[in-house]
Amino acid sequence: MTQLIKLYLLAIVLSVSIPAHALEYETLPDIKEGVVSIQLQEPERTVGYTVGDILTRHITLNIKKPYLLIDESLPIIGYERRYKGQLIGIDLSNIKHIKKEGDNSVEHDLTLSYQVFTNNVVAKNGALPAEYLRIINTKTKEIVRYRIPSWDFAISPLSIFGAVKVESDMTGYRGPLLLDNSDEKQRLKIFLSILGLSLLGLLYMLGKHTWLPKMGGPFAKTYRLIRKSPNTPQGLQDAVSSMHTSLNKTAGFSLFNGNLNQLFEQKPAFKQIESEINQFFGLSRQVFFEPNAKHTVGDTPIQWLAQFCRRCRDCERGLITDKQNVNKA
Amino acid sequence: MSDRLLADWRQHALTLETEVNKVVVGQHNPVRLITIAIFARGHVLLEGDVGVGKTTLLRAFTRGIGGGYQRIEGTIDLMPNDLVYHTYLGEDGKPHVSAGPLLMSGENLSVFFFNEINRARPQVHSLLLRVMAERTLSAFNKEHTFPHMIVFADRNQVEKEETFEIPSAARDRFMMEIPIVVPNDDDIMSGLMFDTRFHNVDALIDTVKPDVLKFDELNAFSGVIQKSVEASKTLEKYALNLWKATRKPTDFGVKVTNVDMNRLVLAGASPRGMSMMLRAARVNAWLNERTAITPEDIHAVFHETVAHRLVFSPVYEMRRTEIAREMLSNIINAVAAP
Repeated sequence: MTQLIKLYLLAIVLSVSIPAHALEYETLPDIKEGVVSIQLQEPERTVGYTVGDILTRHITLNIKKPYLLIDESLPIIGYERRYKGQLIGIDLSNIKHIKKEGDNSVEHDLTLSYQVFTNNVVAKNGALPAEYLRIINTKTKEIVRYRIPSWDFAISPLSIFGAVKVESDMTGYRGPLLLDNSDEKQRLKIFLSILGLSLLGLLYMLGKHTWLPKMGGPFAKTYRLIRKSPNTPQGLQDAVSSMHTSLNKTAGFSLFNGNLNQLFEQKPAFKQIESEINQFFGLSRQVFFEPNAKHTVGDTPIQWLAQFCRRCRDCERGLITDKQNVNKA
Repeated sequence: MSDRLLADWRQHALTLETEVNKVVVGQHNPVRLITIAIFARGHVLLEGDVGVGKTTLLRAFTRGIGGGYQRIEGTIDLMPNDLVYHTYLGEDGKPHVSAGPLLMSGENLSVFFFNEINRARPQVHSLLLRVMAERTLSAFNKEHTFPHMIVFADRNQVEKEETFEIPSAARDRFMMEIPIVVPNDDDIMSGLMFDTRFHNVDALIDTVKPDVLKFDELNAFSGVIQKSVEASKTLEKYALNLWKATRKPTDFGVKVTNVDMNRLVLAGASPRGMSMMLRAARVNAWLNERTAITPEDIHAVFHETVAHRLVFSPVYEMRRTEIAREMLSNIINAVAAP
């Protein structure tokens, strides 16, 4: 007897609950226009999906108060969806719901992910199903419904059976056939590399045989040479001689103590190191012309020369500027 | 001892320069160059317009170094014997012979000034050049010597009529050709016009301290300078390159505006000229308290000791002063040392 009662009750529950849920939406009135505003962000393409793919749509609902979304009416994960009694083969696989409370309204951010569980030998229609939500007016306790529209797309077959003429199978449901462009990509990379190298070469030439303008000038080379000079009388002679050569190249004429002003007129930056240039000529005088003469560069002339050459290189590169001209400018 | 001697004489030389600069204003460079010529024992050509102070300059130097000063004007009818003697009828009605400007001061002649030398005939040049080279003269059955003499000659560069250009061989006997130009400083020019001390040249010359140097010791001391001031191997190479550049400027990339460099130079500096240049450079080094010649010493005397020796194609002779100056400046710019 007890068994029979239990079976009866179960039959009542099953016969009432599920149809009641479906019927509930059909009987509820639609919500008035203007209460809910919706923004939809659909998947980026409408074709090219096949079994197993997941499509995600982002929905933003703004529901004005006193209407309130009944959270229980949100779609349920895994629930089989039907269209005209047929399973559509597209199920909700994930849902994310964020609620933001406002003064006059409540914003609901819904992220619905559907997975495709159907396929065919040819492309066929598919749709992310419409979703009905229940909304209650908290003042009048009236319950109404709101429909989130469906979104159509095409489900492509996994493979094509038999001989297919592509020209006669230009269905809009199939995604565009992509050509293999790996060769072009590779060629593009090669040409870009050549272009890059050419630009570097151009830069090298415009920089007067240097990678950058003002680099690789006479003093830059001499600086490297002086740094390697041995601390011997011959090394010192070679270093001083190299400095003379660089100064002459920079000036464009043979530079002596007596015509320094010509250099300063042409290259005003060197005026900033006039005293060091005079010291250098004192050293040169002692090294090449008058061994009894005294110079003022100290006991380590090679090191001093390297330092002096670096200062000249800075002038050459424009790192030491003519203050007067800068002020005038 | 030698260092002390050099220092003492240097002080005397600088004093002499100061004294001369007091009476001939705005001519510091010519004064320095004449000082160099005196200590290098070289003859000097002076180049400049009339009335710029050449005679005053030479008289001031003569007063400072002592010895005799003689002067003669070059004219077209001047004959060689006019330098040696002149004849006249005396009060007794008999002919008399007197010593000419060359012989008048005897061995004590220290400065002989030949004004406008290019107005004189080549015969006169010939005699003078022999005296310059040998410092001796045969006259009146006697050999006269002028061991302390330095000849200063002035060329009239403006007028070309009735003049006899000094040939290159003759020019080469002069150690230097020094330009004397009017100072371009307004204060100095104004002073020359309005300062009354410049109006009486004799009184002006008297203000120069006399006998700052001993003219009869200059020859010996000149030798001391030449021995004591050294020249390094680098300097020798530099001077050699300068010499080569005067002979073949194109080898050193030297150019002169609007001049065909392949046709310009017929003869560069002579060995005598380069030797004189080094003598002068040594004196300049000594005056600047150096014990060896530097390139700057050569530059100080390069134009004045070399320019007048260059022989150009006739087509360029009319512009020789400007061409020589530009060419020598470019040579200094082109030749490196070291």
